[in-house]
Amino acid sequence: MRKPLVNALRWLVFIAAVVILNFPVIATLVTSLKSEAEIMTNASLFIEAPTLDNYAAVFAMADRFDILHFLTNSLVASLIGSVLAIALAFPAAYAMARFGAGRSWLLPLAVNLRAVPLIIFAIPIYLMYQQVGLLDTRFGLALILCLVNVPLVLVLFASSIADLPLEIEEAGRVDGAGTLRLLVYVVAPMSLNVVAASSVLAFIYSWNEFLFGLMLTTNSATPVSVGASFFFAASGGGVRWGVAAAVMILATLPPLILGLLMYRQIGRSMTAGAVKG
Amino acid sequence: MPRTSRFEGRLLIAPLTAFLIALLGFPLVLDIIYSISRVGFEDIRAPEPIGFSNYAKAMADPEFWAAAWFSLRFGLIVSVIQVVAGLALAVFLAPLFAKRPWLIALLMLPMMVAPALVGLMYRLILHEFVGAVPYYLLEWYGDFPAFLGRDWAFTTLVTVETLQWTPFALLILHSSYAAISPDVREAAALDGARGRRLFLNIDLPLMMPAIGITFFIRFIDSFRVFDNLYTLVGPGAGGSTTSMSIYIYQAFFKVGDIGLAVAASMLLLVASFVVLWVINGLTARKAPL
Repeated sequence: MRKPLVNALRWLVFIAAVVILNFPVIATLVTSLKSEAEIMTNASLFIEAPTLDNYAAVFAMADRFDILHFLTNSLVASLIGSVLAIALAFPAAYAMARFGAGRSWLLPLAVNLRAVPLIIFAIPIYLMYQQVGLLDTRFGLALILCLVNVPLVLVLFASSIADLPLEIEEAGRVDGAGTLRLLVYVVAPMSLNVVAASSVLAFIYSWNEFLFGLMLTTNSATPVSVGASFFFAASGGGVRWGVAAAVMILATLPPLILGLLMYRQIGRSMTAGAVKG
Repeated sequence: MPRTSRFEGRLLIAPLTAFLIALLGFPLVLDIIYSISRVGFEDIRAPEPIGFSNYAKAMADPEFWAAAWFSLRFGLIVSVIQVVAGLALAVFLAPLFAKRPWLIALLMLPMMVAPALVGLMYRLILHEFVGAVPYYLLEWYGDFPAFLGRDWAFTTLVTVETLQWTPFALLILHSSYAAISPDVREAAALDGARGRRLFLNIDLPLMMPAIGITFFIRFIDSFRVFDNLYTLVGPGAGGSTTSMSIYIYQAFFKVGDIGLAVAASMLLLVASFVVLWVINGLTARKAPL
């Protein structure tokens, strides 16, 4: 008797939670699909006359604020940052798991780094970048994104490599394979799952990074997380809310889609990262 | 351990070590040097040692302590709410997730959005003329507060942060709840435990380590809050929403006081070490997961 009622209540709570937690994105999406005139007269969540005009307007102002430029900056810097983090952390995690190298200091250092507010290093990094010409470059930003991602990636790799069966590697050694060869042909293929899961998470974190994007770039390398706010001032006077909403949706779509497609891997990585750290 | 593999181990961690020295070690040294020097943007290569007066200046600045107090209060409040809300949702919705695991994806989505963009989105959503929240509050209650004014800014920011990161607590606590063996619950049920007693006496103690970890991760993340705060209110609301990160950012970029900004950074670093030390002490005493 009570079971169906409780179940219905569960669904109700679930739907309410989905709507409330995702409200910023839902409301912004709705606004982005209204005409400029409708936005001023109708602030509700219902659209009277849906239109894609705002999206067209965003791309039409490319001469002043180029959304594709910001998106490309984010894409390039996030890709380099994630790949570099994996390239650095993977061999190190292997060395820790199999040779014990650095396990006593490098792993705790990386784990604790996640708890340190990175703004502490932001000012000297800014001054360093100024001296070596890395300010406002995609590569400079990518290096920081790599730094942001290294702790999580290292923790995930270290625990997953330790779980791999040792026998296969030993067989490889008997056949005369060196460490580098083992790493590339044996350990890496067995770790593809973790590599995929952690690179998705690293990419999303990189895409969403804001503080260093704000401090270290001015225009050439500005990521979309920072560039999106430029559109708020795009029309000089008042904010063109439709345009601003469309920009925010465009900037949010890539990680949102990745999140929907790979939620299982992301969830597993987040949980493992939390528990193992 | 044979000598060659020790050598190989060192070789394999060398690139990461070099990277961390360049991007963490070197900046840390600069932090320390600049924090005890008089330095401006013009004479950045020739800092002049002046002892600890930058630290004294930071410690004597009421805004520094206001920022520290804001961060601490903000971090504690949002983490407590997030853990409680996440726990409640995780347990209550567990039967739904058990049958249809993909449902949790919809609740994880808020975490995929850049906090900076969430802050921007709320500028739209809370706007008095075009925002949906004031619109519906006006419709239903006939009134709405000045969300970003002095009286409401803190509550608004707590809500914004909580709504975005409760999903993290939900995710971690759900996986911890789902990992409790059915045997344990069955045994407890045989002993007559059910409903609330089953939860309080069996589930909750088993989930305690996960609850602790979730709380600490959320606390650390919200203590250093910057992105959504910066994009939503900036230095607004009469400075009542300045977190430690915002304080350091402003000391550097707005005021141009490098020494003060760096000294505040070092104090923040010390504070993080204290927090870490406490956490490590607590988790070491607890049973391993």
